[in-house]
Amino acid sequence: MNPEEKAWNDLRAAASSRLRPGFARGVLRAARGLGEGAWAALRESAAACLRPGFASRVVRAARAAAAGPSYASQLALSAVTAALCLAAVLLLHQRNQQLADERNLAEWRAIAAFAQEIDVPGR
Amino acid sequence: MDETATKDLVDLVRRAQRGDEAALHELIVAYQNRVAGFVFAITNRRDQVEDLSQQVFIKMVRAIDGLQAPSQFESWLFRLARNTCIDQLRRQKLRRIFLPFAEEHENIAEPAGAVDTEELDALRHALAQLRPQDRALLALVQEGRSHAEIAVVLATSVAAVKARLHRAREHLREHYQSNHEP
Repeated sequence: MNPEEKAWNDLRAAASSRLRPGFARGVLRAARGLGEGAWAALRESAAACLRPGFASRVVRAARAAAAGPSYASQLALSAVTAALCLAAVLLLHQRNQQLADERNLAEWRAIAAFAQEIDVPGR
Repeated sequence: MDETATKDLVDLVRRAQRGDEAALHELIVAYQNRVAGFVFAITNRRDQVEDLSQQVFIKMVRAIDGLQAPSQFESWLFRLARNTCIDQLRRQKLRRIFLPFAEEHENIAEPAGAVDTEELDALRHALAQLRPQDRALLALVQEGRSHAEIAVVLATSVAAVKARLHRAREHLREHYQSNHEP
């Protein structure tokens, strides 16, 4: 190989190494442009993601969702439950307080009676 | 859509509005592939196509009674689909902010090219480079929606839709023609 031929070969090799892999396919795609085929392929690919019986499943799921409790009713139920819990806590607290008062009063009565018993008149 | 087809669709929608299950089933079968394609174009996620399509149709079943103009059914359905997809992408974005390590696989785009044709792979790659709103815009056009209908969906003017569409198409073409390799 003469030096000139070698230089040309080196030039070709250097130039071709600058091309990305898949260059030819990219050129073809650029030349053809974005056609309907690509969008059709996208639609087909997406349609293939739907399992058979999709429509029946959707109708069933929609009916089940409609039959279930609504957001408002769930909210109302939560509010009523919270109110009942609060009332129960207050009632229990009041009852405990009352029992404690009665117990303390009885103890004071006992102490007072005992004091009266040991109290010597005329001292 | 020709006049007979429009009339048939209006009849079908009216029957569905009266709660006719067969009509609802027929509507879903008629539109499921188009809605699936629309969802795929916006989300670029095969694993979300069925779930999101189901969400769209459940919303359709629950809200069809309130549709005032049955002749506008298609436009209304694709508006539901667009909003469902955009909401889902927003939720994913929020989840990524608050739970950055919780579901790490959720935000990773599935590898393209494994099962796709060269053409589809290039389109998916190009769509992935666009904003979700622009993907939705292009998908709406692909579904035959007019500029006026899209303007109503996006609550903007027809001129703004045309301008956004022009930019989105330019970007798509640019990325589609680039030498993308899977």
